[in-house]
Amino acid sequence: MLPGVIGLVQATETVKLLLGIGEPLIGRLLTYDAFGMRFREVKLRRDPNCPLCGQAPSITDLSIHMDGSAAACEITPNGGRAREGALA
Amino acid sequence: MKTLKEMLAEARQVIPEEGPAQVQQRMKSGEPVVVIDVRDPDEYRDGHIEEAPNISRGFLEFRVASAVSDPSTPVVLYCQTGLRSMLAAKALHDLGYKHVINLQGGYQKWVQSGLPVVRDLPLSVDQIQRYSRHFLLNQIGEKGQRKLLRSKVLLIGAGGLGSPTALYLGAAGVGTIGLMDGDVVDITNLQRQVLHTTADIGKPKVESGTRTIKALNPDVNVIPLPTRITVDNVMDVIKDYDLVVDGSDNFETRYLVNDACYLAGKTNVHGSIFQFEGMATVFAPNEGPCYRCLYPTPPPPGLVPS
Repeated sequence: MLPGVIGLVQATETVKLLLGIGEPLIGRLLTYDAFGMRFREVKLRRDPNCPLCGQAPSITDLSIHMDGSAAACEITPNGGRAREGALA
Repeated sequence: MKTLKEMLAEARQVIPEEGPAQVQQRMKSGEPVVVIDVRDPDEYRDGHIEEAPNISRGFLEFRVASAVSDPSTPVVLYCQTGLRSMLAAKALHDLGYKHVINLQGGYQKWVQSGLPVVRDLPLSVDQIQRYSRHFLLNQIGEKGQRKLLRSKVLLIGAGGLGSPTALYLGAAGVGTIGLMDGDVVDITNLQRQVLHTTADIGKPKVESGTRTIKALNPDVNVIPLPTRITVDNVMDVIKDYDLVVDGSDNFETRYLVNDACYLAGKTNVHGSIFQFEGMATVFAPNEGPCYRCLYPTPPPPGLVPS
């Protein structure tokens, strides 16, 4: 049942984005705890050191995905910041 | 008595004109502006500027308040060639609308300039009934429904997340749904992947998914893509879609979809689940963070949804 809830959040956001209506879930992470039945929202901000969308990106094409392994997941952001850095 | 020529000359004294490029610039700038198509409904249906509502010249004074709530908002009017709308603009000006602009050369010049237009295909009787509850919602309406019918969405994964997404987007009348998944239906999927049925065990998920969506809404053009998304196909696949919904179940795919969507400028509607927890967000290129801002490296197993 859990994926139904999240999948429908995605469907709802999709329709909103297609129509340009409402407030999209951009820069916000919605989390859902089915056991406690709680929704929470965490603000997300862009990481200026992000290797993809940061100020000096090192990923400018998909070549890091070429070997098809997890290598593409292990790109250290410029400056090597901690993972929780993006969670404002 | 005034001649038509005199009336137009009089209107031109008070109504400024702007060409198609200038008007488009205005619409893109984010400044408040309302563009109204004052032609007759049959002309409008044949093609119009997407954002413009249709208020025919004859109804303009009566209905303009429904489109323009503040009389100081800039209003651009257009007709076929720019003459009817010039007289219409003068009427609005006399009604107290402070900032009325006429689109020089009208719709004809807009089209000749190569600027985008949309054409409203007539909705069938079935469609009018099927989407009638959407029409009742101001924020959607017939205009929004047409937009949904013209939209193209790629669903990556026809599993736990992709199933409900596909069902509801299909029911809502999203016109084109690309369904991408390389797996076949397994009995262990059926407890949550509601796009597939017991009889589908062993069949490709995109096959049963396509059948289910089409049965729910024959309006939807479902494009089955019975393959995994890979570095070799991702760019070619996503280029045809307005938006991507990531319902994948592994980090490699999420990073790949994230990177490809960012590079191609496509919005990625992200979702993931793990046991009793789930999360969702939207990655819009250059409007907000991407997946790598959130997870520079994959979190240790068991810590976050996977």
